[in-house]
Amino acid sequence: MPRPEERVGILGWGAYIPRFRVKAEEIARLWGFEPSVTKALWIEEKAVAAPDEDAVTMGWYAAKSAIKRAGIDPSLIGCAFVGTESKPYAVKPSATIIADALNISKVKLSTDMEFACRAGSEGLRLATSLVASGTIKYGLAIGSDTAQANPGDILELTAASGAAAYVVGPSEEAVASFEGMVTYITDTPDFWRRDCSKYPMHGEGFTGEPAYFHHIMTAVKLLMEELGLKPSDFDYAVFHQPNGKFPLKVGKRLGFTKDKILPGIVTPWIGNTYNASALLGLAKVLDSAKPGSRILVAPFGSGAGSDAYSIVVKDRIEEKRGLAPKVEDMLRRKKYIDYATYAKSRHMILRNV
Amino acid sequence: MKLSISIHWRRKETHYRLALTKCRACGRVSFGERKVCPYCGSKDVTTLIPSGTGTLLSYSVSYFRREGDEEFLPRITCLVKLDEGAIVPGELVDVDPDEVYIGMKVEAVLRRYSSDDPYGLIYYGLKFIPFLKG
Repeated sequence: MPRPEERVGILGWGAYIPRFRVKAEEIARLWGFEPSVTKALWIEEKAVAAPDEDAVTMGWYAAKSAIKRAGIDPSLIGCAFVGTESKPYAVKPSATIIADALNISKVKLSTDMEFACRAGSEGLRLATSLVASGTIKYGLAIGSDTAQANPGDILELTAASGAAAYVVGPSEEAVASFEGMVTYITDTPDFWRRDCSKYPMHGEGFTGEPAYFHHIMTAVKLLMEELGLKPSDFDYAVFHQPNGKFPLKVGKRLGFTKDKILPGIVTPWIGNTYNASALLGLAKVLDSAKPGSRILVAPFGSGAGSDAYSIVVKDRIEEKRGLAPKVEDMLRRKKYIDYATYAKSRHMILRNV
Repeated sequence: MKLSISIHWRRKETHYRLALTKCRACGRVSFGERKVCPYCGSKDVTTLIPSGTGTLLSYSVSYFRREGDEEFLPRITCLVKLDEGAIVPGELVDVDPDEVYIGMKVEAVLRRYSSDDPYGLIYYGLKFIPFLKG
C-alpha cells in the first residue's frame, strides 16, 4: 500500500540569507576564545540580519520565492506554518503577517510553530500531511530565524540569520516527491530558552551525543529501514548544521560519503540559521540536483527531535530553478561588518527607547 | 517616529503589496488605491498589484535624526518607476550610499518600517533593495 506522503511533493522552494556577514574569528577575538575554535567547529563567518529584518521579513522573502517557483496562485494555499525561535512577537503570529503580505488565502490554517530548530520541519510535515489527507491542495512551510546567542557564549560564533520556505502540493505537480518521512523525539535537556529570557542556554554534555547524534541517527535509520534503503541509495544527504563539523560527523557515522554531504553544507559561510539550517541545505541541493536524484534530509531541533525525509527530484525542476535567487547567489551577496555593527544590527546595544 | 496603528492597518494593501490604481479610461497607472484616476478624473478604476520590480529614478541620502530612527541611518529615500509604469516613493536598503546609481534595478521586499519599542506594535511594509538575480 502506498504511503500517504507519496501523494505529496515539493512544488517550489525559496531561500533568504541577509547581506551582512561577521567573521567568526572577530567574535572569537573579542570574547577571548582560543583561536583554533573556529576551525574546530568549521565556522568561517555568519549571516547577520539588518536592523529592519527579522524572522517575518526573511520568511516573507523565502516564501515569495517558493510561491514563484511553484507557479501557483497564492490564494490557493490552504496553510501557512512558520517555524521560528525568534518570533518578533511573543503573542501575535508571524504567519498571519507573511500570509497577508503575500496574498495567501485568508481561509487557511496558519500558525507559528515552536520546536527549537526543527519547528520549520514540523510545519513541513504537517503541511504535507494536510495535502496527503486531501484537506488542502497546497501548503506553505517556512523556517526562519534571527538566531539568538548570549554574547560571549560559544553559540555566538555560529548563531545566524536566514530563512527557507517550501510549497507542497500534489505529487504530479511537484519538482521533487516525498518517498517517506519519519520523526523521532524524546525529552532531552540539551538547549532551552526560558520565558522572557533573551538568550538560550545549553546543557553542555547533552548537545552532541544524547541530542544531535542520537536523534538524527535514530530517525535516519528508521527511515531507511521503513523504505528498505541504504546510504549508497542516496545521492545527497542534508543534516541540521549547528556548525560545519557535526553534519560531516553524523553523516560519516551513518555511512554517507563526504561527497554526498558537502553539496548541502551552508553553515561554515552563513552560520547556524536554526530553523532554516537543514532547509537551506536542501534548497542548495535542489538548486543543482539532477532529476532522478534521491535526497536524504534530516533536520534536528533541541529538546529534542529529528525528522528524516527521502525526496526524489523530478524532471520539472530544471524549469523552476531560474525563477528565484539561488542559495549560491545569496552566499555571494555579502558585506563584511565589524562586531559593533553586528551588535547594533541585532539590537544588542542597550539604549533608552 | 510613532505611526498610527489604525492608519497603517487601513493602508495594509499599499504597505504590504504596493497596490496601484489602474484607470480603465486613460490606461494610466498611479500609486496607491484610489477611487478616482489622478490623471483624467475617471472613476472607472481598478486595483493592480504589481510584481514589485522597477528602476531607480532618483534618490536622496538623509542623515536627519528622528527619535527611534538612529539605527537605520543614513536612510536612502527614493523614487522608483515600477515595471507596471507607476512611480512610487520608498526607501532603498541593503546598499551603501556610494553604490547607488540612477537606473539601478530594484525589487520590493518586506521590512520593518518602525516599531513602538519596547512593547508596542511593529510596523511592516515594503522597501526596495537592489534586484536579486533569479
